[in-house]
Amino acid sequence: MYGGGNIFEVNKSDNLNQEDPVKLDEFEARIARGEKVEPSDWMPALYRKQLIRMIEQHAHSEIIGALPEGTWITRAPGFKRKMALMAKVQDEVGHAQLLYSAAETLGKSREQMMQDLINGRSKYSNIFNYPAFTWADSTIISWLVDAGAIVNQLANSKGSYGPYCRALERICAEESFHLKYGHHAVIHLATGTNIQREMVQGALNRWWPPMMHFFGPPDKISVHTEVLTKWKVKMATNDECRQQFLDMYVPKIWELNLTIPDPNLRKNSETRQWEYSEPDWDEFIRVINGDGPCNAERLSVRRTAEERGEWVRKALLTKEAKYVTPLA
Amino acid sequence: MKMDSLDPRIKRWKLQEQRQEEYSSSSLDQLPTYEVFIQLKEGKAFEHAGIVHASTADMAFLFAKEQFSRRYSCTGMWVVASEQVWVTTYSELEENIYDHIGQPAGEENDPQDDFDVFHLYKRGKQHKHVGQVKAQDTRMALLKAKASFDTGRPVLNIWLIRSINIQASTPEDQVIWSTLSEKTHRDVISYRAGDKLNKFKEKHNEG
Ligand SMILES: [Fe+2]
Ligand SMILES: [Fe+2]
Ligand SMILES: [Fe+2]
Repeated sequence: MYGGGNIFEVNKSDNLNQEDPVKLDEFEARIARGEKVEPSDWMPALYRKQLIRMIEQHAHSEIIGALPEGTWITRAPGFKRKMALMAKVQDEVGHAQLLYSAAETLGKSREQMMQDLINGRSKYSNIFNYPAFTWADSTIISWLVDAGAIVNQLANSKGSYGPYCRALERICAEESFHLKYGHHAVIHLATGTNIQREMVQGALNRWWPPMMHFFGPPDKISVHTEVLTKWKVKMATNDECRQQFLDMYVPKIWELNLTIPDPNLRKNSETRQWEYSEPDWDEFIRVINGDGPCNAERLSVRRTAEERGEWVRKALLTKEAKYVTPLA
Repeated sequence: MKMDSLDPRIKRWKLQEQRQEEYSSSSLDQLPTYEVFIQLKEGKAFEHAGIVHASTADMAFLFAKEQFSRRYSCTGMWVVASEQVWVTTYSELEENIYDHIGQPAGEENDPQDDFDVFHLYKRGKQHKHVGQVKAQDTRMALLKAKASFDTGRPVLNIWLIRSINIQASTPEDQVIWSTLSEKTHRDVISYRAGDKLNKFKEKHNEG
């Protein structure tokens, strides 16, 4: 899974005046022709930097996203759900591997990306800084968070960077299983007993606000990223993704007779746009900057896993010992 | 900051306090990379699938099996250390890269090594295996590849790998994929819920 709403920062120092204008023209012409950029091609420093940032954030989101769901594997109700959730979590970790490899083709090592994640220097999707209280939370994550991820990933898979697109093609194929599994599990609860319905409604209430944050701040207050759009790094605006998500999933939530915790949510029949209460963007900024309910524990678990695996990786790098018969 | 967590690992690993000291790991802690090639069906060309990190080719093979053939059955897999892949430049504007390569100048003296040749036909796609040539070095192998595999169809980029460096699956290895068809829990078809949903909607609309 993955969160949208990458925080792009275009600094003043990122201007393109230092770039060779001829090469820049050729680069932009390639993208305009619809050709993919491959690792050994010339590219502007800003393109490389923003792509590393985006792909790396995406990779981190996959492994951190595996944590809240992963803890539910042992407690998933029944063998089938355990198998399904285990397969899903394995997929998510696999997605991280694919994405780290894609980012590596741009010149940042996996070691460095791991260190930046653990030291809090690079971001991951904000939504995973919230806890999964019940089994129903885990099903809502599998359904709706993955649904949001698919909206974002499908858009990005049409981008300009070859290795990222190839990784996303594989990822999107697997996400369709996550989505179906998540929907299946939510339907099971929502059509079940009153207690099950209450559980899933409770989970929806908890996850709706972070889900509205998921695609990032509204376009009117976001950093302008025209150049990243022209270079096919950013493929859809935050609001476009959010509208698409609402269009596809609000009806599916309503048909289960569940209540979305926003009294202002409605589709404007004239503008064909969804209207909703403005999410709390101060909270979003606060949580993304480290002060959410689970930021500390997510990084702590990741760090400990990394440290506990270190001796294994070290042993693997050491040449095999060779048996020599003692001499005397 | 105290962590009051739902994640059982927090208790099990006694991670009560957030640690302040910087994390750093040794160089190449994440292991070197191997390129993975997959054959989807008997008789089809091997195609590049992606990269895995591993310390040896054997380990790369295991990781590649999990990463790239977890869902779809395949008939063969190759892994090769990334540093063993020799890469040409990419051609521009869909030119054929072979057009920039000359003809072999006469016969070379006793060609020794087998090289596997891979073509890229379109940017954004994966490299495909086209065959083998015998040569004493990569320069010669490239000339031979042009003689054998240049059909005029634009090839944008060529990879050459000394065959000896490829860790290839054997026919006996194919059993590792034989249980895949049983793992339907990984597949969307196992999660149909339309009937249940429709029944619920009918009942709800009546009531
Ligand atoms: Fe996901
Ligand atoms: Fe997913
Ligand atoms: Fe994923």
